[in-house]
Amino acid sequence: MRKTGSFKWVEFMVVATLLFLPHCRVLAGSSDQVIIFHAGSLTIPLAHMEKEFEAMYPGVDVLREASGSQKCARKIIDLKKPCDIMASADYKVIDKLLIPNYADWNIRFATNQLVLCYTENSKYASEINDENWYNILARKGVIWGHSDPDLDPCGYRALMVLQLAEEYYKVPGLYDKTVANRPKENIRPKSVELGSLLQTGNMDYAWEYLSVAVQHELKYILLPDEINLGNYQFDEFYDQAVVRVAGKEPDTFMEMRGSSVTYGVTMIKNSPNTKEAEAFLQYMLDPQGGLKVLKEMGQPPFVPCRVPTEAAKSSLPESLQNLVVIKD
Amino acid sequence: MKREAFFWISVSCGLVIMAFILLPLIQLFTSPSLDMLKESLSDKDVMRSIWLSIYTAGMAALISFVFGTPLAYLLARSDFRGKRLVEAVIDLPIAIPHPVVGIAILSVAGKNYWFGQILTELGVRIMGSVTGIVTVLTFVGIPFYLNATKAGFEAISPRLEKVSRSLGASMFSTFARITFPLAWRSMLIGIIMCCARAISEFGAVVIVAYHPMVASVLIYERFEAYGLKYSQPVAVWLVSISLILFFLLRILTLHKVEEK
Repeated sequence: MRKTGSFKWVEFMVVATLLFLPHCRVLAGSSDQVIIFHAGSLTIPLAHMEKEFEAMYPGVDVLREASGSQKCARKIIDLKKPCDIMASADYKVIDKLLIPNYADWNIRFATNQLVLCYTENSKYASEINDENWYNILARKGVIWGHSDPDLDPCGYRALMVLQLAEEYYKVPGLYDKTVANRPKENIRPKSVELGSLLQTGNMDYAWEYLSVAVQHELKYILLPDEINLGNYQFDEFYDQAVVRVAGKEPDTFMEMRGSSVTYGVTMIKNSPNTKEAEAFLQYMLDPQGGLKVLKEMGQPPFVPCRVPTEAAKSSLPESLQNLVVIKD
Repeated sequence: MKREAFFWISVSCGLVIMAFILLPLIQLFTSPSLDMLKESLSDKDVMRSIWLSIYTAGMAALISFVFGTPLAYLLARSDFRGKRLVEAVIDLPIAIPHPVVGIAILSVAGKNYWFGQILTELGVRIMGSVTGIVTVLTFVGIPFYLNATKAGFEAISPRLEKVSRSLGASMFSTFARITFPLAWRSMLIGIIMCCARAISEFGAVVIVAYHPMVASVLIYERFEAYGLKYSQPVAVWLVSISLILFFLLRILTLHKVEEK
């Protein structure tokens, strides 16, 4: 009796091990994958690209993780999480945090601009326009917010828009007055979340990228090019805006200066799936591929994509070199 | 005496599980230097967030105690149609993914919903407020209180209560003088379980309230903004508190077994 009992145990263990074995391949990440860490604002277009790409390469599985762009970099640097491609809502994050230790190059592939989002149920929704929005943001009882400037480029960019608006509309004190009406509680880790707060009526107005507003079907106020951070021809004007964000340690700070919203993408050095990642980038940066998807979703791509120098171009994998031009 | 294979299988499984739980925690505890630990103790934001965690978890447990005790008693003592359904509903918060809890609470609290509209008119704010945090923590913690307390009531023979009632004591005084003194330990365990669950909550809280920051949210924020090095010391302090809570729980349950 005892013998059969222990025999069953052994059987059970064998079966359990056999059941577990196929998973090991997945756990070890050895199947054909592309792991992409990306800014939250790229979630919807990248989901679309994933579908198209996987239809072209049925054997490859695209795994995406969305977070604020700085957090993407943190996951690579601090957590050493395996990652093939990182796409940031601010190409400077790649330059500042990943190059040279974790990446060699940085391709600028798209732009965006900031808009003020709301819904029809937002307070004063019927009277807001591109002339009076800053007065409404300063009104008592209006709940507006932006994402955390320390974690998400969209957060410090929202503050920059307010600073630039003060210059542009020539209303001294505009920045202080509006920010005074935004308690800390209205700051969220990542800008995409703000959309849900608007839609559930927990917030009246929120700063968001245009593409996100379009994709989430929010109402929005378009701002003049001088302040929306969407037109690089105004980079000199944008440069007046300065926001202090968290530095590398608590109680240290670094200054972010205004410049046009430019998205960057890079491949992580020693990435686990180099070949597949290259194939994905080839598709993503193709004007008929990923760039077209971006355009359809309200986010203007650079056609073709850009790198700043000849040296940067020659450091790219060969298959990508003909997809970029040199432009500062 | 020769041990059977079963014994050794049990022991080795146990060792694997111990290592599985302890290894990451030991790594966590030994990574930050003593200076970093001390420094984070004198960091106002850290202390404020840890106190807020304890305070909100305590409030959640208090609310669970006040509103949950009668329900637990009812479930332990009476059978009615749909009782299984009520019990299943009580367990639901354990099974729902945490962010979903946060989203659900926010959608009820938003002014696009009638309940949220009432709240707005009363001046109660859920998003980004201590009220919101307590709401979330009560939601995720109350099943633990209810289940522990219910089990405690079930373990007391209803005969004792009937004797008391037959001697003329009112239901309330029977509860206060017979049931409560016998069940208080289970209730306390329920409170501790509820607190522990509430302190560890992150996913639902971060959706409802990023600021003011509870400790788990601060750990996340520190990690994102400054990296592992600055989030670990806060985590060590938070884990220490959880450890103390569970240690208390074990001591209390141990006494209970010995008494029997």
